[in-house]
Amino acid sequence: MTNRIVTALGFGLWALAGSGLTPVSAQAPFRERTVPLIASGEWPGARLPDGQPDVQGHWSNTIGNHNNLTDPQGGGPDQEQSRARGARADRAPSRVTDPPSGEVPFQPWARAKAQEFAAHLSNPIRPEYVEPLARCAPAGPTKSFMWHGYEIRQYPGYVVFLFDSGTRVIHLGDSPHLPGAIRLWNGDSRGRWEGNTLVVDVANNNSKARLARTGEFASERVRIQERYIFDPAGERFTYEAVYTDPTVFTRPFTVTIPNKRITAETPQDGWSNVTFRASHAGSEPIIEAWERVCVENNGPHGDIASAP
Amino acid sequence: MDGGVIPYQPAALERRSKNFAARATADPRSKCFTLGTPRGIYGGEPFQIFQRPRDLTIVYQFGHPVRTIHTNGTRHPEGKLDFWLGDSRARWEGDTLVVDVTHFNGETWLDRSGNFHSDALHVVERWSFLDPDTISYVATIEDPLVYLRPWTLRVLLYRHREPGFQLIENYCYTLDYDEFYPVRVSHD
Repeated sequence: MTNRIVTALGFGLWALAGSGLTPVSAQAPFRERTVPLIASGEWPGARLPDGQPDVQGHWSNTIGNHNNLTDPQGGGPDQEQSRARGARADRAPSRVTDPPSGEVPFQPWARAKAQEFAAHLSNPIRPEYVEPLARCAPAGPTKSFMWHGYEIRQYPGYVVFLFDSGTRVIHLGDSPHLPGAIRLWNGDSRGRWEGNTLVVDVANNNSKARLARTGEFASERVRIQERYIFDPAGERFTYEAVYTDPTVFTRPFTVTIPNKRITAETPQDGWSNVTFRASHAGSEPIIEAWERVCVENNGPHGDIASAP
Repeated sequence: MDGGVIPYQPAALERRSKNFAARATADPRSKCFTLGTPRGIYGGEPFQIFQRPRDLTIVYQFGHPVRTIHTNGTRHPEGKLDFWLGDSRARWEGDTLVVDVTHFNGETWLDRSGNFHSDALHVVERWSFLDPDTISYVATIEDPLVYLRPWTLRVLLYRHREPGFQLIENYCYTLDYDEFYPVRVSHD
């Protein structure tokens, strides 16, 4: 558990703003500066026939993209440092919620390497300086939640995440992980529901994806333990990932990402809300996401698309 | 396929011959591009079908793209879209799933030998069980820019019944730069 004030709040949905707690407004714009705290507990909401909490639908994180892991609204390493961003306290807090410093507890060599990646983001004079997501590679288990809006679909035995770049199939139950020699961009995920919380163990990580444009990374030895904690109304969830990798870090650390449901009323912004209204004979709004295939973009940088 | 010969228009047949000659490098599969519809179905690597009342979701191992087949009464979006896998709207006719697929791009081939289509492709699929582990897949292929008339291909799809069988990732298009990641740990 991190240093956050979670357990005392029960199911109350609150936001941590500066040093004070304020209720989250249902009418708040999609991009937020604060991180709601949602406690693990029972699930009083709708369930699917197989007993899973029904959390299907379209979702997006609320604080920003993968420009910057620890200062999510502070701009990426390739953006002008002089750009006025106001006081740090006015921006969303670090996604690293443990340790309390908000920094990744890198070993010295690894911190230097991450800084090297950040310094060369816009000038990738070596192939490994190219941030892999810019080449349409899958974003990896955690960074996928720092990218465009995504969809959750559930089936008996599975929770499936359809991301903008990559797909994740989480196997529910007690089946073993794949053999260790198999390593995958999004790892191998085995999960179970504990009340309102989906608990997932992610092994078989190839760790080729980075955690952000700021260069943070893990190794193939990393073990990621995730908790997806859904609020009882099913409108928000907190993503928590504990990274354990003694070859890169001095201690385990936790990444926390707040997420919010996309509905037919959510304004289309082309980033968080990438859904469209479906055409049908009825009057109720149905939203759907269209195909997202990025493979044709896999040049040195994703913004230089070339025809095949 | 029915009739044994794809009824190409003359100009399209010329292009097919050029494709054939250049197939070793020109096949979009060799670039790990999404195989498209219908090739993704018989392209060789497995796929998994996840099913809900409102839709079927096909996750392909090759490239890991996702195709949604909507069964909730929704219609194709208006206008002209260029999806790799097309836009799929379906209905059940008894136990047969009938899928209308449109809104294609013209980037995919039908096989490794250069058979192709344009972005005017229209596919109608019929999926039906022959037995609990075998699906009859029949696709009618229509493309007024390439073929003289619609034609039909048929394949049988077999369920993977190996114990513990699991679809894994094949993000094949990452192989070109695979060697540059992850970070090498200094004391490995």
